[in-house]
Amino acid sequence: MEYVSPEGLRLDGRRPMEMRQIRAEIGAVAKADGSAVFEMGNTKVISAVYGPREVQNWSQQISDKALVRCEYSMANFSTGDRMRKPKGDRRSTEISLVIRQTMEACIMTHLMPRSQIDIFVQVLQADGGTRSACINAATLALADAGIPLQDLVTSCSAGYLNSTPLLDLNYVEDSAGGPDVTVGFLPKLDKVTLLQMDSKLSLDLFENVMQLAIEGCKAVANYIREILLENTKQLEYRRGL
Amino acid sequence: MGGLSLGEKNFIQGGIAQDLRSDGRKRLTYRPVSVETGVIPQANGSARVRMGATDVISSVKAELGKPSSLQPDKGKVSIYVDCSPTAAPMFEGRGGDELSTDLSVALQCCLLGGKSGAGAGIDLSSLIVVEGKMCWGLYIDCLVISSDGNLLDALGAAIKAALSNTGIPRVLVAAGASGDEQPEVDISDEEFLQFDTSDIPVIVTLTKVGRHYIVDATSEEESQMSSAVSISVNRKGHICGLTKRGGAGLDPSIILDMISVAKHVSEQLINKLDSEIAAAEAGEDDS
Repeated sequence: MEYVSPEGLRLDGRRPMEMRQIRAEIGAVAKADGSAVFEMGNTKVISAVYGPREVQNWSQQISDKALVRCEYSMANFSTGDRMRKPKGDRRSTEISLVIRQTMEACIMTHLMPRSQIDIFVQVLQADGGTRSACINAATLALADAGIPLQDLVTSCSAGYLNSTPLLDLNYVEDSAGGPDVTVGFLPKLDKVTLLQMDSKLSLDLFENVMQLAIEGCKAVANYIREILLENTKQLEYRRGL
Repeated sequence: MGGLSLGEKNFIQGGIAQDLRSDGRKRLTYRPVSVETGVIPQANGSARVRMGATDVISSVKAELGKPSSLQPDKGKVSIYVDCSPTAAPMFEGRGGDELSTDLSVALQCCLLGGKSGAGAGIDLSSLIVVEGKMCWGLYIDCLVISSDGNLLDALGAAIKAALSNTGIPRVLVAAGASGDEQPEVDISDEEFLQFDTSDIPVIVTLTKVGRHYIVDATSEEESQMSSAVSISVNRKGHICGLTKRGGAGLDPSIILDMISVAKHVSEQLINKLDSEIAAAEAGEDDS
């Protein structure tokens, strides 16, 4: 099947180095300490952060750091075929772990000892790149909650089909069986914090594809920064400053 | 939300007694309802309903299946509610299962009929394709994103809106199928039948706090309730289902009074919902 046409257009009309349209909104869940909705094309994810608060399970308390917990769940209607078991399956557990480790690395946990930070991510629509959308949504929600972060974590995926590196794969391109490289990136510190790949890719091509994903992460970071600035202006305005 | 102090509890109860609740509403006033339809493009129908800080999404997916042998002339509908952990940390893992099951069962009781399929708010016989062999199964999945009380009413409204938004593909049955063979069907991609939702009931929950009842309680007010009665009423004013929650006993005359109050309130709610749904559908068509 042809994923990149001879004119250089992908199945949804994008160019190989073009990301899907991103859209974000802060404060979707009023009752949470911080929340955000993040959309990458047709993938839509909502994230809520509760914390820092008292540790619920006393035995898990850490005396010098905050405890970070994360749960990833997909809605029944998020995929094309209705999912029977939205929680607890292996993929969800793995992604919860991945998101937790990524966010834990950038939260300044030493500033909040003996407390707990809960990050919940719910996928409303899944069209490829849910992992990345979740990490981006979690970053925004943590910022909305006012939790101190070393840097924003942004994430994007890239792949390689029909001899072309492609940025931001959607579900059809992801299921094509080609490699899928997901990168989590700290833009200011210029460090990669998450790197996952499936399928196989030769080493010289890998560097290209990873660089492409990092460029995608930087673009997402710019957008997130704009959204946060806009949000702060709104807060200032409401406080009458 | 932590516990409420004694002063806060007295404030809530006193306000309700004086017909002036904490957010300024009267006892029988609903919070502003906002409805968006078509929020899940890959479903046959979907809607998102917001009542104050309560936010729920409902989606309807239609799949072809075989009707039950006990009711060969009726389609199937199943309702499933999931409480997302984004709504409250206690819904993490299996924590939300109890509430989800409670809500699913209450919705099934209010919207679908008894075991024989009679008396359903949704007309199941319109889902039949070939009697005895093929019917549409509607899978209604709801997700609670944010919870600030009155989940049942919001879910009922979301299901009504999602069903209004649902388009069932037109099915052409190939002639000449005989006996036990599964008939050949051609599912049209172009033509859709809009579901008829004028008979679908809405759910009105009356929460008793002290000696008075309120409609559309926030989660703070719900924490002070002694009991709550959820009544599903349709456009004709007929009662389609009734559930009582809460341990405190209620005098039967009070329950009858609550039913008449619910019928009165449901008229306003049905009108409000219908206009919101129509506006949402019109807005969706324009965009």
